[in-house]
Amino acid sequence: MTLRPPALLWLLALAACGSPGEHGEDVGATDRGDPTARAETPRIVLVTHGQSADPFWSVVATGARDAGAELGLRVEYQAPGTFDMVEMSQLIDAVVASRPAGLAVSIPDGDALAPSIRAASAAGIAILSINSGARVFRDLGLRAHIGQPERDAGFATGRRMAGAGVTRALCVNHEVGNIALDSRCAGLEDGLRDAGGSVLVLAVDLADPEDAQQRIRGALAREPGIDGVLTLGSAGAVPALAALAMLRASGGLDTTLELATFDLSLPVLEAIREGEMSFAIDQQPYLQGYLAVVLLHKAVQIGALPDGVIRTGPAFVTGDNAAEVIRLVGRGVR
Amino acid sequence: MSRDPRLAVREISKTFGSVRALDAVSLDVRAGEVTCLLGDNGAGKTTLIKILSGVYGPTDGEILLDGTSLQLSSPREALARGITTVYQDLAIAPLMSVWRNFFLGSEPLKGRGLFRRLDPSRCERISREELAGLGVQIPDTFQPAGTLSGGEQQSLAIARALHRGGRLLVLDEPTAALGVRQTKALLRTILEVSQEDVGVILVTHNPHHAFPVGDHFVVLRRGQVAADRAKDELSQETLVQLMAGEI
Amino acid sequence: MGAARSPRVRRLLARPELAAALGAAVLWIFFAIQAGEPFLSRAGTAAYLNAAAPLGILAVAVSLLMIGGEFDLSVGSIIGASGMSIMLLTTHFGWPLWPALAATVGLCLSIGYLNGIIVVWTGLPSFIVTLGMLFTVRGLTIAISRGLSGRTQLGGLDGSTGYEAARFLFASSPLPHFRVSVIWWIGLTAAATWALNRTRYGNWIFGAGGHAETARNLGVPVNRVKIRLFMTTAAAACLVGIIQAVQFNGADTLRGTLQEFWAITAVVIGGTLLRGGYGSAVGAALGALIFGLVRQGIVMIGVNADWFQVALGTLLIAAVLFNNQVRRLVEQRR
Repeated sequence: MTLRPPALLWLLALAACGSPGEHGEDVGATDRGDPTARAETPRIVLVTHGQSADPFWSVVATGARDAGAELGLRVEYQAPGTFDMVEMSQLIDAVVASRPAGLAVSIPDGDALAPSIRAASAAGIAILSINSGARVFRDLGLRAHIGQPERDAGFATGRRMAGAGVTRALCVNHEVGNIALDSRCAGLEDGLRDAGGSVLVLAVDLADPEDAQQRIRGALAREPGIDGVLTLGSAGAVPALAALAMLRASGGLDTTLELATFDLSLPVLEAIREGEMSFAIDQQPYLQGYLAVVLLHKAVQIGALPDGVIRTGPAFVTGDNAAEVIRLVGRGVR
Repeated sequence: MSRDPRLAVREISKTFGSVRALDAVSLDVRAGEVTCLLGDNGAGKTTLIKILSGVYGPTDGEILLDGTSLQLSSPREALARGITTVYQDLAIAPLMSVWRNFFLGSEPLKGRGLFRRLDPSRCERISREELAGLGVQIPDTFQPAGTLSGGEQQSLAIARALHRGGRLLVLDEPTAALGVRQTKALLRTILEVSQEDVGVILVTHNPHHAFPVGDHFVVLRRGQVAADRAKDELSQETLVQLMAGEI
Repeated sequence: MGAARSPRVRRLLARPELAAALGAAVLWIFFAIQAGEPFLSRAGTAAYLNAAAPLGILAVAVSLLMIGGEFDLSVGSIIGASGMSIMLLTTHFGWPLWPALAATVGLCLSIGYLNGIIVVWTGLPSFIVTLGMLFTVRGLTIAISRGLSGRTQLGGLDGSTGYEAARFLFASSPLPHFRVSVIWWIGLTAAATWALNRTRYGNWIFGAGGHAETARNLGVPVNRVKIRLFMTTAAAACLVGIIQAVQFNGADTLRGTLQEFWAITAVVIGGTLLRGGYGSAVGAALGALIFGLVRQGIVMIGVNADWFQVALGTLLIAAVLFNNQVRRLVEQRR
């Protein structure tokens, strides 16, 4: 076997990858093949810390793409393979170098992403933040943030629980040290305190659901006075539901306990519909993607961008609207 | 000659458990001569070599190198004392160039302080010349040592040993894996080597390879010396008969 | 074919870096055509060089170790440990930055030394020993960080004394867009190449990897060489950890995850053999460059970043096949 054939095949394969203008995830663009039209179709890129395969982020991506289709824009979605700030900052750098018209980023770690985000602003790209970073986006020079401020959402949840008669709530935190999650519990405490209630924070590790379930049961058994449980993500709701079911079965539970969670999933919605869970707090990720594209579109066109936080949540899903929301989840838009 | 033999093996015995691999073996190796160590498989040749190269210690007896008693604790010490053994599993890094193999562990340096460095062109030249001195022509010693033929690789190991001031060269079955042409070339090299001030032990079970180059023949049988003759004391057929145990 | 080739040509083909150099050139041309001006701009070039630099620093050291016949799977964990060590010492214990850096370097060198002596004394395969160290170091990093600070991510390094000097040395931009880590990468590659090819020490590394027993017999201090090589990979990982901590103004316990595998991939693409005794530091640098080109290039042409792993895996296999072909040609026995 000589040297030539493999090298030749390699080159042919690369050449076959296509000519300029016919690649990429450019959903929603018109006149793709026409170079002049391509040059005019603005390109909006979202760079987040969550993979598009993740059910939560796929809704964000869908919202963004729907907006792109409606407005005739090219929308791209990029995220690192795992939660990795180094990789994410490199992605932002690469996207900035490709000179999109607009850029939307999530900011899970303001310190880490600051240099890349500032470079994006300096390059004259219209930029806003979504989902995380409500506290730091101004420090990084951004005007607008679209998402659900965590502490406020916790506060609203606390008020709602207090309204339902909760005096002591268990806040199940699956990632102590994650500022966003810690804020939710802190907000819950603020909301309950006004009505004379209090909060106990319980740390669990969702990598071991059995263990998480045990811990929740243990906490509830130790303090019979707990009449409310809040989990901070739809993944955390599953062991909580299981723990409550076990306690109910063994007769050791006050059936008027209020169970709520942040973020939606099918099990969560079904539990609400069946009455096992009181409500869920939906940050409406579809809007985070959709509004990001809409606002960036105008920012690119006429340079106008709102100032401050645009709240996409909290929106509460209760037994009243659970069925409808389930239908929409099936369509991938909630 | 009246001076001491290069190597004197005196009543060496080696026992492994209940097996007596060597039984009071004595022989002399003189510098400038090729001593052939012959015998069938299991005769004890390998054990003797391993003792000489520092892998084992003897159970009994002693070894004298240039008249001084030798207590070898490791192969590295044997090498440091000037005893080089070239095994069939060659001591060559096949992917390294010929000259790098040649100078491994004794690299000549030029320059000073932090900038002391190798001198590739000088190393290339010296290694090429040393090999040529043994009758081995390698036009480019930058090529990987693995591209050399089996015989050439043996010669490289030999040349390396000589260049480092070897006193005794032990060759373990060097022709066993070689074809006819390469065997002839290697035997020529061994003759060249015997012109130097080095004692050579050639271990082989092939009397037809041993006879043309040997000056002195020791035949081992079941751990004991069965015969110890100079070249003018025997013929090739006698050698074959000795090895086969017919005499 | 074969014997008729001149020694010069033969020597050129025998260079371990050949496949990586060709691969890098082909990829560069490919992205230049597909992405156009953004890729060729300063920002574009900086995007892939900056992405390649940390891996390049790591890969250079790992290539030396692999040529010497050993593996180090713990470098990624050492990156994580060094980052958190700096952050804990400065923000939790209040040390000034430079003593914290010195202590961190000492920590990393100790881990490298430990890897080395375990491998040398027990005779266990370094793959296994360093795999164990990977888990141990990462586990300790997470446990100690959580135990001391309750958090897995720490920020605010810029508040410590001596930060400005560190920023200059490790995280500044000597040219607009280009990071100083690129200079570290190029400098270390040059030093390693010189050491490998021009010094006695380099010959010892080749010998230790090519035929350790013989090298030892010939007087090469193989054990000492290997221990020093493990300390070198640990030091390189430490440098990457320091650069990233300073650049991102903080660290997290998961930083560096999987970097050891990327490093080995880059080293193998660069022509170093897994069995040792043959390879090139320049090849490892080119492997890292390929890594950066592909990673950032596909983002710049709008392809989803998830395809990066597919591309890199294919390149790895292609490069090794190519290397084998060429080596077989060059090493034909006469």
